[in-house]
Amino acid sequence: MLPESVAKLGKLFSRLPGVGEKTAARYVLHLLTSDPEISRTLGEELLQLHARVRPCVRCGNLAERDANSASADAVCDICRDNKRDGHMLCVVGRVHDLFAIERTGTMRGRYFVLGKLLSPLEGIGPDDLPMMRLISRIREEGVTEVILATPPSVDGEATALFLKRELGPLGIAVSRIASGVPHGGDLEYTDPITMSRALAGRQKL
Amino acid sequence: MAVRSLHVSELSARGFRNLRGEPLRLGPRFTVLSGDNGQGKTNVLEALYVALTSKSFRTSKLSELLAHGSREGDDEAIATVRAHVIEDGSPRVQTVALRKGHRLVKIDDKRPASLAEYAVQSPVVVFHPGELSLSMGASAERRRLLDRVALYSAPVALDSLGRYTHAMRARQKVLATRGVGASDLGDWEALMAEHGAATCEHRRRAAEKLGARASKVFGEIGSPGMALSVTYAPGGPEEAEELRRVLAELRPADLRRGSANKGPHRDDLALTHASAPSGRSAFSTLAAPLPVALHPVRGTASQGQHRAIVLSLKAAEIAEIGAARGVRPILLLDDVSSELDRERTRALFSFLRAQEGQVLLTTTRPELIDIARSDERVDYTVCDGVLSALVDG
Ligand SMILES: Nc1ncnc2c1ncn2[C@@H]1O[C@H](COP(=O)(O)OP(=O)(O)O)[C@@H](O)[C@H]1O
Ligand SMILES: [Mg+2]
Ligand SMILES: [Zn+2]
Repeated sequence: MLPESVAKLGKLFSRLPGVGEKTAARYVLHLLTSDPEISRTLGEELLQLHARVRPCVRCGNLAERDANSASADAVCDICRDNKRDGHMLCVVGRVHDLFAIERTGTMRGRYFVLGKLLSPLEGIGPDDLPMMRLISRIREEGVTEVILATPPSVDGEATALFLKRELGPLGIAVSRIASGVPHGGDLEYTDPITMSRALAGRQKL
Repeated sequence: MAVRSLHVSELSARGFRNLRGEPLRLGPRFTVLSGDNGQGKTNVLEALYVALTSKSFRTSKLSELLAHGSREGDDEAIATVRAHVIEDGSPRVQTVALRKGHRLVKIDDKRPASLAEYAVQSPVVVFHPGELSLSMGASAERRRLLDRVALYSAPVALDSLGRYTHAMRARQKVLATRGVGASDLGDWEALMAEHGAATCEHRRRAAEKLGARASKVFGEIGSPGMALSVTYAPGGPEEAEELRRVLAELRPADLRRGSANKGPHRDDLALTHASAPSGRSAFSTLAAPLPVALHPVRGTASQGQHRAIVLSLKAAEIAEIGAARGVRPILLLDDVSSELDRERTRALFSFLRAQEGQVLLTTTRPELIDIARSDERVDYTVCDGVLSALVDG
């Protein structure tokens, strides 16, 4: 029998993606048999995680809060990077997808994370998408090209069609990443080469 | 074109329904599984079918296949079926592992690019008593037949159909929750139209190939003077723009009905038979031949004719997917003697003897199975999920 605390921590680790019960148990044993400083630092970092890292107020990417500021708002590195092309905005479903595109190193513009895709079967409709924030961002920052990089699933396609129509009146160029990405696949698992091709081969909608 | 041989030499199942015991060794020709009802004969055929296609022919709920009782209420419970396949002399191992909500497929320990690619590796065709509904029953069985055939000429057919169905369900949900004016309805309809049109194209092609072969077979086994015609009967416009227009127009009607009135989810395979009116009629003295009457087979064909039609469709399926893949499909026949009628049995056995590939069949009456010389036939009995080889004499 495992001591209760060991079993409990193991259960928590096994909730992480890709970690099964065996791996979780190995993590706990490793921590118990290593320098206690590792466990302490890990614990402190975890305690602070949600307070320090917030969704970027402009794009939804992960952002580190300014420790000296009283405001809870945070702006991410990409939004702050003034070498980025402010005219180009890439719309993604989730932060994971933003990372997948960033890994290619070919995206010159900035991002906007929707956080959701249209999905009536899960009760998600147009009112649940952050359209106001997206449109005001496009207006305020003088965006001239929007790249729709929602995943190639049916929900992702529907969301792209919906956005294209909603953004129509703004008179900006709207394109969709090419479907070099495996059908029904997840952008997160798309390799960087395929992803760069999908970006380069984007088509005007 | 040369047709390569294909057979499963060994089948093993773990945690699958009630199957237990040693792997099953199969001969390259006929394997007869006999036993009382409820022992697990159909489960063996199902295990083989799952191993080769990752799907069941009995249920769409894969969780039903997990053996109950073994690890009650366990979400990690897993069923594994494995087939040693020999194609034209080269062996491969196909494995399907099922867990609640997941399936993992492997060919020689490598994962194929998609489930569609997996499903066309080793073509297999099932024949079961419920199959009579192919001719007499509702359209769903016939759509499934079209989709099975379409898969072999275009693996993307499965993807198109899946996408169409997802978009269709999403649109219906939008209609039901937000009404006919919802702003995203047109987007779901656009996707239904795109993937629906692709689905129609695949099915029309499948129907043409299948229809030509089925008519030919029916001419050989059906009643003299009768002809069978098999054609694609689309459930809505086949062209994307037109389908999209119709969907938009039918929003109120679809909302009332609770499902879409038009679209490939209502496709069918139209079966009609043509015959000259039989017997002497008041007009039989007329010199001109009588017009040929066309009838939908549902409602007009006799039981025996239905059986001949089903056999023709199945033979066409075997021939078509065999030709598409260049191998002889494996044939699974369930419950061969369950409702013995001489006519069916005779036609079936002559059809079976003509099969050159591997055949597995189940029966409660092995003594009635007269198909092959004993050196081409392996017999097993199935009792409470365990198979035992039947020794001669
Ligand atoms: N998931 C399951 N787990 C365990 N046993 C099952 C499962 N599903 C069906 N069975 C058992 O399988 C038997 C029926 O097997 P089947 O192959 O249909 O019989 P038959 O020999 O008549 O074809 C029944 O005894 C049933 O209880
Ligand atoms: Mg049975
Ligand atoms: Zn940002």
